[in-house]
Amino acid sequence: MNTKRLMLFILLALGVIFLSACSGQPLANNWPGLATDAEHAYLAAGSFVYAVDLESGEEVWRYPAEADGKLLFYANPVLTSNGQLLIGSTGTEHPFISLDPATGKEKWAKSFNENKGAWLASPLVVNDTIYAPNTDGFLYVLDMNGKESADPIELGGALWSAPSTDGSLLYIASLDHQFHIIDPANVGSDQSIDLGGAAPGSPVVGSDGVYVGSFASTIEYIKSNGGHKVIAKTDSWIWGSPLLDGQTLYYADLSGKVYSLDLASGNQNWDTVQPDGPIVASLLMAGDQLYVATEAGTLVALDRDGKTVWEKTVGGKIYTTPVVSGDLILVAPYQADFVLAAYDAAGKQAWTFVPEK
Amino acid sequence: MWETIIIQPMTNLLLWIYDFLGHGPHMFGLAIILFTILIKLITWPLNASQVKGAQAMQELQNDKEWQDIQKKYAKDKEKIAQEQMRIYKERGINPFASCLPTLVQFPIIIGLYQSIIRALSATPYDMLKLARTIYPFQNVEGIIPLNSKFLWMDLGRPESIQVLGFALPTLAIIVALTTYIQSKLTMPASTNPNDQSAQMTKMMSIYMPLMLGWFALNFASGIAVYFIVSNVLGVVQYAATGRANWSNLLPGGGKKTSSAKKK
Repeated sequence: MNTKRLMLFILLALGVIFLSACSGQPLANNWPGLATDAEHAYLAAGSFVYAVDLESGEEVWRYPAEADGKLLFYANPVLTSNGQLLIGSTGTEHPFISLDPATGKEKWAKSFNENKGAWLASPLVVNDTIYAPNTDGFLYVLDMNGKESADPIELGGALWSAPSTDGSLLYIASLDHQFHIIDPANVGSDQSIDLGGAAPGSPVVGSDGVYVGSFASTIEYIKSNGGHKVIAKTDSWIWGSPLLDGQTLYYADLSGKVYSLDLASGNQNWDTVQPDGPIVASLLMAGDQLYVATEAGTLVALDRDGKTVWEKTVGGKIYTTPVVSGDLILVAPYQADFVLAAYDAAGKQAWTFVPEK
Repeated sequence: MWETIIIQPMTNLLLWIYDFLGHGPHMFGLAIILFTILIKLITWPLNASQVKGAQAMQELQNDKEWQDIQKKYAKDKEKIAQEQMRIYKERGINPFASCLPTLVQFPIIIGLYQSIIRALSATPYDMLKLARTIYPFQNVEGIIPLNSKFLWMDLGRPESIQVLGFALPTLAIIVALTTYIQSKLTMPASTNPNDQSAQMTKMMSIYMPLMLGWFALNFASGIAVYFIVSNVLGVVQYAATGRANWSNLLPGGGKKTSSAKKK
């Protein structure tokens, strides 16, 4: 009977599904991660990490060679001084991987078993130690060969942003609204501060403390001794990291406003500067220009007074923080016809990169 | 359209309930349970019409005229269908009335799945979408990200328990079982093995548990919580009407009823 065959087929299919259910679910949607050195841009865009030649915009290598559903990459890769490119996977498997930036060959891969979460945040490298934040709420401590050199530091909420350091202390926000000050030499004595909202951006280090923005629509100044205060409020959630330039702190919010705070006086340097859309990416200062990338897919160059020097429609949506290498500003749009574009300081497009299939 | 009329209200309602409950650990699971109860209350009239429709179909199976038609036109399926439609029309019976609540559940299930995934925001992009979903009057900065833990589960991921090194999908099994129990209890006993609607109902009682079990297996466990609570409430609601056919749960229970009625 056809019905019996159909039933048998369904039962077999269910059996296959049951067996395949042991693996985790990949975190399949996010914007790309981006880093650069003097020669290459490194783009983490889903199934591959690409190295792109800065002069030509051509692909130099990709990792892995073939797409593998087990590996997905969205965090900003991190280059180390001893020639490693570090990134973790958000696929169904979550290895933390070291690549050779010149060739894309794997130097080592530290596998984390299934109950470890995905790697959405970049690691921080201090001397010979890698501090790798994971969505499982642990900050993993690895040596430069991928061995765990200390017990992971449990911080509670998921970690979506890279830690910062002032040279001795580590500063990191977890998504459960807590901000942590960690002394790596004395891990048990870390301090936690409630920010009143999640902080998906990394803190920026200032004098004797850090600045961090959060979904509480505030910029908080947190001293190394744990003292803290709100120094500015915004109209909407703050996603990216603030940018410190001398005595000026720049930051932006989801309402699309760009702010410039004079830290000495506590006053805003300009009235409303509002390009064409919500701002998720952190701001970038290169030369005398402040670069703002908006969700509307526009890259805007401002001077220090908040005046628009130029603006370019890149396309797609820009959530990834632009990076600078030499004379080039690199932008990685999401859901665009290309995955990477390079502009010079005058706003002229040098090249775009579309990966070959 | 789908976003505005399904996803946004559902996500906001879930967030509001979660906030109302105090947004601590396990509270999102409780929010899903309360949400399910609310959906059950809203769809109560539909479920009542399902009960009524099922009862009418059940009574029809034992009707002499109906049985005579089956015998008389046994070799002419087209004629049987015409006669069946005539009887449905004459007696004001909607043969699909018992299927409607199940069909209505599908947009709710899909919407709930998307709302749970949206609310739990596993990636920054999901979180950004959540920010756009929240109604302006909701003050949710303090409650997101949501705590996705409920009992032993992560509500944003498929559930399983490690048993002897094997990941046992307990929720998927419970979903399949409760769906099977619900459909068997509400399935009308048929005296006519050739009756097409009875065959369809019987097939549904097999396919639905498998399908919902598959959903529970592969999607966020918050969906499985919804299925289980919805099934249990469905059984309670049906049992409260006094029409639950408990004998259907026993092996051959339905056949005994049929043969008893034939005599």
